Amino acid sequence: MRRARFAEILQLLATNEVEFIVVDMTAGILQGAPVTTIDLDVVHRRSPENVGRLLRVLASLHAFYRHDPRKLRPQESHLSSPGHQLLTTSHGDLDCLGTIGQGMGYDELLAQTVEMRLSGGLTVRVLGLPALIEAKERAGRPKDLAALPVLRATLDELKRSS
Amino acid sequence: MAPPSHRPDTEPGAPDIDENGVDRAQIRAMLALTPEERLKRVEEFLQSALEIRELNEARPVR
Repeated sequence: MRRARFAEILQLLATNEVEFIVVDMTAGILQGAPVTTIDLDVVHRRSPENVGRLLRVLASLHAFYRHDPRKLRPQESHLSSPGHQLLTTSHGDLDCLGTIGQGMGYDELLAQTVEMRLSGGLTVRVLGLPALIEAKERAGRPKDLAALPVLRATLDELKRSS
Repeated sequence: MAPPSHRPDTEPGAPDIDENGVDRAQIRAMLALTPEERLKRVEEFLQSALEIRELNEARPVR
């Protein structure tokens, strides 16, 4: 496994104007949940222009399919699909998801996101904690349910502090 | 007879654990960081875990 540089991946995506939403545990971490993860999950907009921008960033990160012994590189057709592209990059594992849950893509998720500021004046869109909690409840797998107490407590602390 | 000494319910510096076992102090510490600092913390943790794993790669799992 390569050294994880998730913050740098986000910087690169944002600098190159890729439209994406950070989801799953990294979304929780960015909003203050004391949890960990070994990959970065994003839902990208599947318009041809955005897929083109994403492909250029992925090429600069030397991305390839992490479970494929041939080390295939992601193509436009892969990133245009609603499926999950599980990649490894020079900056750590990155999952580019066409949709999550019940076919929710970038446009459907947008209303449930928050904007978070990164250094250099860049911003990234992150799935808000209420939506993340709902997604974990709906998924209902043991790993999702295990994360719920921390995510709910983080949301509670955020509400108390605001 | 000396009055009984005051014994607070929670000692200073003790963890603040809620009914679900979640450490609320840890959450407040994370919330005090910027989003980027939160992510860096995870990256550092992963790097440490990776280094320990590499150091122990040759050893069988018991």
